[in-house]
Amino acid sequence: MRKMIEVKNLTFSYGKDKQALHGLNFNVEDGEIFGFLGPNGSGKSTTQKILTGILKGHGGEVSLFGKDLKEVHTQEFFQKIGVLFEFPYLYANLSAVDNLNYFASFYPEEQLRDVEELLTMLEVKKDFWKKPVSSYSKGMRQRVSMARALISNPKLLFLDEPTSGLDPAGAVLFRKIIGEERQKGTTVFLTTHNMLDADLLCDRVAFIAGGNIVALDTPGNLKEKNSDHRIVISYLYQGKREEQIMGTLELKDSMTFAYDEIISIHSQEPTLEDVFIQYTGRGLS
Amino acid sequence: MWKCFLSLFKKDCRMMMSGKFFLVAFCSLILYTLFINFGYVNFMDAKLYNVYLYDPEGTQREVSSLVHPVSSIEELDSVLAGDTNGVGIDASNGTPHVRFYEATEKADKHRVDYALSLLSMDENYTAETVGNYTTETKQRREITCELVFIEIVAVGFLGIASALFKEKQMGVIRVHAIMPLQKSLFVCSKIILFLLTDLIFATLMVLLNVGLDGVAVLPGVLVQTAILSLIMALAGFGCTMILRDFKQFSLAYLVIALFAATPVFLAANTSVKMAWIDYHPFYHVYMGLKNAFFGITTINPVYYIGAISAILLLFIFVEASFRKEMRREG
Repeated sequence: MRKMIEVKNLTFSYGKDKQALHGLNFNVEDGEIFGFLGPNGSGKSTTQKILTGILKGHGGEVSLFGKDLKEVHTQEFFQKIGVLFEFPYLYANLSAVDNLNYFASFYPEEQLRDVEELLTMLEVKKDFWKKPVSSYSKGMRQRVSMARALISNPKLLFLDEPTSGLDPAGAVLFRKIIGEERQKGTTVFLTTHNMLDADLLCDRVAFIAGGNIVALDTPGNLKEKNSDHRIVISYLYQGKREEQIMGTLELKDSMTFAYDEIISIHSQEPTLEDVFIQYTGRGLS
Repeated sequence: MWKCFLSLFKKDCRMMMSGKFFLVAFCSLILYTLFINFGYVNFMDAKLYNVYLYDPEGTQREVSSLVHPVSSIEELDSVLAGDTNGVGIDASNGTPHVRFYEATEKADKHRVDYALSLLSMDENYTAETVGNYTTETKQRREITCELVFIEIVAVGFLGIASALFKEKQMGVIRVHAIMPLQKSLFVCSKIILFLLTDLIFATLMVLLNVGLDGVAVLPGVLVQTAILSLIMALAGFGCTMILRDFKQFSLAYLVIALFAATPVFLAANTSVKMAWIDYHPFYHVYMGLKNAFFGITTINPVYYIGAISAILLLFIFVEASFRKEMRREG
């Protein structure tokens, strides 16, 4: 599979004593959803800014679309990427339709998606389409921002905290839309604090802390590698609730105790956040 | 490129409309026009000072009708106490002696000359005049020039800042970093919008306040307006990018208004002379504009080289600060 993003020994410094990235190495495959997870100040945004061409002056080798980053930051490159920022940056005095038409006007017409279709897909209330964005809730602004990121049918989509500010239904909708983008073949670089998003959406995740990647694998593998492979069985015996904890391999042989009904069997698999803490020694927030 | 520029330009027009900038500029135009036509020209035509004459023997033969006779020296002192700008003449012994409340040396000498000229109506006291302008046309050109300068330096500078601070606060400048457009178009679109606004404003000011005679000087006025407009719009853009908020900008604006514009007006329009004013860049721009209003073309190449260099340097600075703003954290 073709590599969409290839990063070798990426370094970046904001000043003499402010080294933000200490030699990152990772690849993102074409059509993959790649999660980039880390706490505030870990280097997530810096990496994304380098990849989107906003920050210049990095060290190491970075290539996107198979070309060196220093060569690809032309208008053609920006036509192929879509970026959702952490905050919904929109013209507050313009409506959703006017905002989208304005940003769409910088792209070739043949690659554009229909504005109304996008707003419908993102479930932006039709009554608000032509009202100024200043009258929108945070969640609605986030939906319009997502529409802006998708309007040019990007081949590579950078999403920074996509479900931030959304209600649970909105978060589910966004995950569905991101999943649909992957099915279309869009590569997604997802920067987030949200472990649920990462777990549900990402093919692979990288944990970044202090400007270093401390782990990189599929969410399933990361959890499995860091699991103690224990399960908890809750059951009723003579009307009394009881629990047994055992290793998964012992499960079959260990079911020697007397019981009337198995109530539940829970694996003791760690969450992605537990794994992150194991690697970095700190939480995500 | 043109498609991107037109999109930016259209958006900037909408931003300026929603920020009521065009309305403010239009109101300024109306206000200035009313002031010039119904205020300034009449104020400037007003008589200078009241002149009071005590001449019990009637020794002064050709006294102007503007002179107010008084019947005693006590009355003369009394009216001067009430009208401290007035000038008294005591001609009780046949020779006029001027008396008044002291002002400044230069103003006092001016008042003495004026008062004595009213006692002698013959042609000896009338200076020979040169030039083609009447008092009114000269005054109209002077005040129109001053108001065009003020409008561009103050209102235009504030206008670009208010529009840009809104975009800065909304964070949309950062979105342009990932748009497929030449980033300098963002700067150019705003600068050109302000340039066009200033050129239209200057044209209307000339036509409404100088009259159709002003058409002849319009090309020269527009060249000088363009230089000033580009400098001020770029300075406003740069300040907006490097300053955190509108409060900080207001302080910068005060500095520019007080320390940049005030000495220029003082040096160019009053008898106050400052040796260092030749090193003040705005003085040369203002004098270029003023000369243009009187049909005198500034041909000094150093002036144009300096102006173009300043515009280019400001553009480079603005582009760099704009790119820095695009990289800034949210």
